[in-house]
Amino acid sequence: MRKSLLESRALSYGIAILFLSLMMLPIYWTVVTAFKPDTETYVFPPVYFPKEPTLTPFKLLFESYPFWDYIQNSLILTAVTTAFVTFIGMLAAYGISHYPYRGGHFVLITLLVTRIIPPLSLLIPFYLVVSYLGLVDNVLSMIIANVYLTYPFAVLIMKAFFDSFPRELIDSAIVDGCSRTGALFKIVLPVGAPGIASAAIITFLWTWNEFIYAMVFTSTSQAQPITVGVFDCIGDIFVNWNQMCAGALLATLPGIIFVFVAQKYLIQGLTAGALKS
Amino acid sequence: MIVLLWVIFPAFLLFYTSFLRYDNVHPIIFNGLGNYQKVLDDRLFWIGVKQIVIFSIGTTVLTSLGGLIIALCLSAITRAGGLFRSLMIVPWAVPAVVSGIIWKWMFSPDFGVVSDLLMKVGLISKPLSIYGDPNLAMLGVIIADTWTRIPFMGIILLAAFLSIPSILHEAAKVDGAGAFERFLFVDLPLVKGPLLVGLLITTIFSFRTIDIIIPLTAGGPGRATYVLGYYVWDHITKTLNFGMGAASGVILFFITAAIAGIFVYYMRK
Repeated sequence: MRKSLLESRALSYGIAILFLSLMMLPIYWTVVTAFKPDTETYVFPPVYFPKEPTLTPFKLLFESYPFWDYIQNSLILTAVTTAFVTFIGMLAAYGISHYPYRGGHFVLITLLVTRIIPPLSLLIPFYLVVSYLGLVDNVLSMIIANVYLTYPFAVLIMKAFFDSFPRELIDSAIVDGCSRTGALFKIVLPVGAPGIASAAIITFLWTWNEFIYAMVFTSTSQAQPITVGVFDCIGDIFVNWNQMCAGALLATLPGIIFVFVAQKYLIQGLTAGALKS
Repeated sequence: MIVLLWVIFPAFLLFYTSFLRYDNVHPIIFNGLGNYQKVLDDRLFWIGVKQIVIFSIGTTVLTSLGGLIIALCLSAITRAGGLFRSLMIVPWAVPAVVSGIIWKWMFSPDFGVVSDLLMKVGLISKPLSIYGDPNLAMLGVIIADTWTRIPFMGIILLAAFLSIPSILHEAAKVDGAGAFERFLFVDLPLVKGPLLVGLLITTIFSFRTIDIIIPLTAGGPGRATYVLGYYVWDHITKTLNFGMGAASGVILFFITAAIAGIFVYYMRK
């Protein structure tokens, strides 16, 4: 048990609870608003605990916007990107981590540099490529961009995990007649699973949450993901705030689920990816 | 090697485009440094630079403070630690554009919960509108962005605090160090590395933030929250001047790289 500046544990709990309540206020407010009828949404002072919770905002949201399409597009986009990045990234991370070859270090540095380039700067080149390939308003365009954006971090996370894996185990497996690839699948994968899970979850969330590329690359509900869909609900004159919050809640749902189900992996992954490089 | 091509090609295309007269009106011709000249002569560009510096400093300072506070508290907590940590990282998992929308609703001048809470506490007497006052608008955008960045800072610092052996604290205590002194001379030096990494990532990420600003203030009122990223964004989506967009994108990249370089230099020392 560690003692710190905050000598008394009660004080730590107190501050933590106060601080986290403030942090949770926006989430709480979104959830509450999403279940409010109009009469309780547009009043001041605002209603903190809805008296007549209703599902109408969700119903109207799905009636007035092609929200199923948005969700579907987001799911396709995220699933393909995550599967691709995790698999390719895993091979790369394994290679860099256990088979030092000439230029391996250089590849690593390149990956770090890509993380520094603002995605916004690369929007134009990507747009040119995508329009050259005729992929504007196609889910594939965003898959290409997101693979590019998430790949470096995924490799760094998995490399950090693979680095801590004893080399002797792999060597002994190879002596026992296992191929290098065989060693990867039979030994490294089961042991490195937490790292791969971390990378996959973080890739999933980043792709799901991506907005600016999607905004520029897509124009119809044929390809628009949920982030763009929610943004489009902001009308020119009037915003249906309770519907808006219903949409925002749906867009945030995967994030919230992962945070509570896989908190350990998320924290490990983010720490590993940030610090060990 | 494929990886390398994959990385270098977009960057190359970016530089190449930045030397073209590519405004989607005239035919595309080679323009040398013309775009850079135009960008640097543009008053809006310098407004963007000024706003991004204010924005980035504000966000980084607030994020570090918030991250330090929450990490310190959570490092002393054992019971229900998992739940607390989950709650801490929720804002990280909210899509940035959705955060912007949520905060727009919270800051709403007519029905905003922020106005109401501040009025209840007695800080203000009438509902405030972040859209009426340039300074408030900047503050609002900074708060919204800080909200999404505290979790990451908190995670990194929490890991760092937890790795400090408690025996160091005991020793300092025996030597008569007070709580605050122990924090200053035992904790801080030991978490300096992770803290610098956190600062670096927060700073360079705040330089690229526009997802939050687009729905929240759209750069307004006036140009109060018109950060440099927004300038790039406008060239891509509004004026459709890809040449100038690319040139300002290159400048944005070099500014970010310079900041990263300074941090890395300090970390190596």
